[in-house]
Amino acid sequence: MKYYSEFMRSLKSSEFTISGEIDPPKDVNPDEVKEQVKHLKGTVVAANVTDNPIGDVIMNTLAPCVIMQDLGLEAIYQQTCRDRNRIALQSDIIGATALGIKNVLALTGDHPKMGNHPQAKPVFDLDSVQLTGMLRKMREGSTLAGTELENPPEFHIGVGISPGVEPLEPEIIKLEKKVKAGAEFAQTQVIYDVKILERLKDEASHLDLPILPGFAPLKSIGMAKFMIKYVPGIRIPEETMKKLEESKNRVETSIEIVAELIAAARDMNFSGVHIMPVGMDIHVREMVERAGEI
Amino acid sequence: MIITRQKNLEEIIVMLQGSEKVAIIGCGGCVTFYKTGGRKQTIEMAEKLREKGIDVVATGISARQCYLIEEKEAEALDDSEIIKKVARNIVGLEEAEGIDAVVSLACGVGVQNLANLIDTPVYPAQNTLFMGRRRVEGDFDIEQCIGCGDCVLGYTAGICPVTRCAKSLMNGPCGGVFNGNCEVSQSRVSEYDIPCAWIQIYEKLKANGKLDNMRRIFPEKDFIRATHMRKVEVAK
Repeated sequence: MKYYSEFMRSLKSSEFTISGEIDPPKDVNPDEVKEQVKHLKGTVVAANVTDNPIGDVIMNTLAPCVIMQDLGLEAIYQQTCRDRNRIALQSDIIGATALGIKNVLALTGDHPKMGNHPQAKPVFDLDSVQLTGMLRKMREGSTLAGTELENPPEFHIGVGISPGVEPLEPEIIKLEKKVKAGAEFAQTQVIYDVKILERLKDEASHLDLPILPGFAPLKSIGMAKFMIKYVPGIRIPEETMKKLEESKNRVETSIEIVAELIAAARDMNFSGVHIMPVGMDIHVREMVERAGEI
Repeated sequence: MIITRQKNLEEIIVMLQGSEKVAIIGCGGCVTFYKTGGRKQTIEMAEKLREKGIDVVATGISARQCYLIEEKEAEALDDSEIIKKVARNIVGLEEAEGIDAVVSLACGVGVQNLANLIDTPVYPAQNTLFMGRRRVEGDFDIEQCIGCGDCVLGYTAGICPVTRCAKSLMNGPCGGVFNGNCEVSQSRVSEYDIPCAWIQIYEKLKANGKLDNMRRIFPEKDFIRATHMRKVEVAK
């Protein structure tokens, strides 16, 4: 097997692979991207760039990807089905790979009703399984329509899974289909509960697929309560809430919580972890180093 | 059934600006069952418009407005003859001459069908919402079919993912399932909870021992069959 990206090479070696995440800026100033890259580089092998999460308008995915790769941090280009039909999706992939993108994460995308343009027409021409299949087909040298790509794009295909949802079985069935369609790695929705990690390990171990559990620091009790109330598939254990409530230094505590989760994933032999810094990028290195001490 | 909801009166009045003799024609189809455009609502609409100073000279009700008379038959008649032919008189329709506006209480199909037959402008009194299932009062009418042209109900336990999944997903639920509901239920603009169609499909397939249906990969949908405007030959 040929590896196009450093991220995939790392996943396929026995290394514990850590990916991070870059939040695109809300306007045209690229400095925020550069700042995030500065803090993540050296700690993560690659970092995702999100595709207008919840449907709010921010900088597109490709620009931060190019900026960060110019600064020496490999990008994982997130692509959702919310805003583009199959023509635009393929065209974007051709453009992105021409600019050096080597990893693509295929996602369904949030419904536009969740964001600040709820009136927008939802596209969803494809779903995430079909998108995964289309990406593989392109890499094999053909568009979805069957026209030849003489110089096909070279990249690796990742997918998402939300292991905290109930019931889990349909989510696992969908993950199996993504693997059949061409998925080479998976990153998860944010997890705070080790029990969800254990369940994911049990339910997905039959798949030949590196899975990176996703973690994010809980910056405040307000954020924790919001996540429980509004974000699907989120469970936060009582001990974690208690830790946060009793904490004298919330930043310190949130770093510690992520570090413990990273260590737990490592001890369960996950291929790596995916860290979503949610603004705490300056502390990602500490989270990882702290996990190494556990 | 075609589910409709009446437009607010102000919008209808704006459309009628400049019209002097108005006829209102209800429909004996879905809108009668749905109580938005039947005989009773036609009379009520006339009263409401008269209160606002609109000169409603006639009211009537057609059979299903999606099927009235052949275009060829209409060609030989003038507008008032056509209106009298396709609608049953409620009040004044038999005598009405010189009508310069028709308000239709049918769905969008009925409005267009009538507008195609007569030169007099036809104005809609309804917003046409969707093809759905009639429920009892106090409950919701639920959208059931989007008319995608490629029915998958045979594989999905009789529950349509194209219509009832907010993203029309074909291969299982997204990560937005929240307490069995679609993530859209959580949005600021949502007025009601929507159950996740894929969880419903999963549960029913599982109960029927047909979960393998969910393991099959549904290919990309062919929107050649679902893109406007569509037409098909009339069946013999």
